[in-house]
Amino acid sequence: MTMSAADRAELAAAVKDLLHEHCTEADVRRVMETDDGFDRDLWQELVAQGLPGLIVDPEYGGVGLGAQELEAVAEVTGAALLPAPFLSSAVFATALIQATGSDADKARLLPGLAEGSSIATVAATGPRGTWSPDGVAVHAIHHDAEYRLTGNAHYVPYGQIADVIIAIAKTVEGIALFEIAPAAPGFERTTATVFDPTVRLSTYTFSQTPARRIGTGGWAAVEHALSLTVIALAGEQVGGARRLFDITVEYLKTRFQFGRPIGSFQAIKHMAADLLLEVESATSAAQHAAAQFDADPTGADGAVALAGFACAEAYHSTTMQSIQMHGGIGFTWEHPAHLFLRRARTGRQLFGSSRDHRERYLASKGA
Amino acid sequence: MTTTAPSTDDLRTEVRAWLAQNWTALPPSDDPWVSSPEEIAWREKVLDAGYAVPTYPADWFGRAYPSKLAAVIHQEFRAAKAAGACQDKHNIPANTLFTFGSDQLKNELLRDFLTGAARACLLYSEPGAGSDLAGVSTTAVRDRDHWVVNGQKVWTSGAATSEYGLLIARTDWDTPKHKGMSYFVIPMRQPGIEVRPLVQITGEAHFNEVFICDATVPHANLIGGEGNGWRVLQTALAYERSVMGDGGRGSRNKSKADSLVELAREHGRLDDDALREKLANVLALRELNRLNNLRAKASTSQGTSSSIMSLGKLAMSRILHSEAALKTEIIGTESLFAGPDNPEADDVNFLSLNAFFTSIGGGTDQIQRTIIGERVLGLAKEPETDRDIPFRKARHS
Repeated sequence: MTMSAADRAELAAAVKDLLHEHCTEADVRRVMETDDGFDRDLWQELVAQGLPGLIVDPEYGGVGLGAQELEAVAEVTGAALLPAPFLSSAVFATALIQATGSDADKARLLPGLAEGSSIATVAATGPRGTWSPDGVAVHAIHHDAEYRLTGNAHYVPYGQIADVIIAIAKTVEGIALFEIAPAAPGFERTTATVFDPTVRLSTYTFSQTPARRIGTGGWAAVEHALSLTVIALAGEQVGGARRLFDITVEYLKTRFQFGRPIGSFQAIKHMAADLLLEVESATSAAQHAAAQFDADPTGADGAVALAGFACAEAYHSTTMQSIQMHGGIGFTWEHPAHLFLRRARTGRQLFGSSRDHRERYLASKGA
Repeated sequence: MTTTAPSTDDLRTEVRAWLAQNWTALPPSDDPWVSSPEEIAWREKVLDAGYAVPTYPADWFGRAYPSKLAAVIHQEFRAAKAAGACQDKHNIPANTLFTFGSDQLKNELLRDFLTGAARACLLYSEPGAGSDLAGVSTTAVRDRDHWVVNGQKVWTSGAATSEYGLLIARTDWDTPKHKGMSYFVIPMRQPGIEVRPLVQITGEAHFNEVFICDATVPHANLIGGEGNGWRVLQTALAYERSVMGDGGRGSRNKSKADSLVELAREHGRLDDDALREKLANVLALRELNRLNNLRAKASTSQGTSSSIMSLGKLAMSRILHSEAALKTEIIGTESLFAGPDNPEADDVNFLSLNAFFTSIGGGTDQIQRTIIGERVLGLAKEPETDRDIPFRKARHS
């Protein structure tokens, strides 16, 4: 289901109010200092607003909204640097279960995710981090009535706190999806030390780990869920870029050197004008991808790929330039600019690198 | 005419029927600055039907319509590919004259400006006043009921075929620069005005230099008041910017250089990783600009559109320069050649040079960035050292 533009704006405004209260910069800094990088109380606030169930079908306890609503909300969560498994649990894992799970799988897993009693993640890629079929480094072998998984998965978002664990593995018939019990034998999770403390990652190893197959879908289901995740990520990147850009423009008006606001210097003013173009273009790319996906998920590859690299690169250059424009204060831990830069660097890799998105974009153009 | 305005549906029906009855395609014109007799005749018809300037009052060829109704006329004419309607949106001379001219001057010229029977070129830029247009030094001196003009203008389109020129000239050297200018509608066909084509770096000549030596203009043709030229010019420039929006034209030849992907494929470069990255980035620039424009259109009521519109020129400059650079890289050493025997190289080399048309024309990209910084983002203005001193004392080149 998709909303009218006005309703969508209202939804985003409601989430913005919520985060304004519960996800301030101080909250982000508090959460990022914790071991898990996760605040269950904050997550429950999001549940109250329907965020974890945003794309979950109403019959499984969700709100059942589309890509455009997801993108609009993601602009807000990205602006707030929300340190939570929103993309990994509420989007990637949820979309995957929804895309390929049997009715029983959905009934078993989705309501808990929507109501916030469980958190899901997807072990999707191996050490190369390609988020592509050939990057999967887990193998599944049929064993009696169930499967056994062996191999490893890297860059598993919020892998430490997840209690619904979906693993993508290679079988003799191709890519398939599996669910692993958190306490399954032969399953180990290790916390990765991350550069961006607002997005946590784990490494999973599987050794003859018993697993239950989810649905019958293969890589097509993963691709569908990844597309939706890339759209949400693009939304977060747009929101983050615009927020730091606004902070920077404000600084250019209030910081005085040589007797005048630094924004009056053309060297700075022109950087700001160029960044505005970046931010506006990224906004168009993300919103277009979401609209295309809602209209036809299978025909949206080019639009999603474009958003994938255009938004990631725009966010990255906005954060880099913003720090430069801030001068000394931008080089301090105290100033939030580096938190945005860290997040921007994460987004250039997670769920597909800019290079991979460019290749998909070129493929959609017949190149 | 103070009759009640029609509904949009009724108006649409009316315009559609009128076009069906009256419109036949005009013979193609090779010079946009020359109006054919057929074109003038057609524009007269449109004018007399009240479609030429629907937002103007009835006294001045209009219907006093709100812009919502004018848009209906615009849509119907566009659908029929018929010219001449809604010139209140884009006819710079007519709108400037309508806004600032005396009734006497309007009676004399407005109809001809709207029918194309008289054309008017823009005598603004000078060799010494490009980005800083308020620095013009072409001077007009009062002599009884006339002004005598001396100076040089540049980058003037259509100067050779225009009956009139819209001239910004300095009428007072002893006040600060913005306050000492006046705006004239000067007859072009007189001995004191000489027009020479200006050859561009591409070898084409779309513009002229205009040398003005003791040319005269009646005092009645000074519009907006003496010393108010800058204000008139600002309004006239706003019309011009809204017309220039699209910017940049395509290839000189109809060659395969039109498609970046095809060009790269033909030159066997599609498996070059470094080139692929650039190709994706350059294709994205054009697509993102298209998406920006669509979003601006969809959100005209929400205020984001003006910010995007002002970015259009910067975006287009970057698109044209980077497309040309990538095409040059793809064809490689072939770009050393020129002429009709080398259409691909000719095309790519032309595009490489012509990209400057957009990044320099109508104010450089650097000026545009300053405008965006100040008017869109609200950043403080750069201090101007010549703003409050007599123009005579300011340094100019």
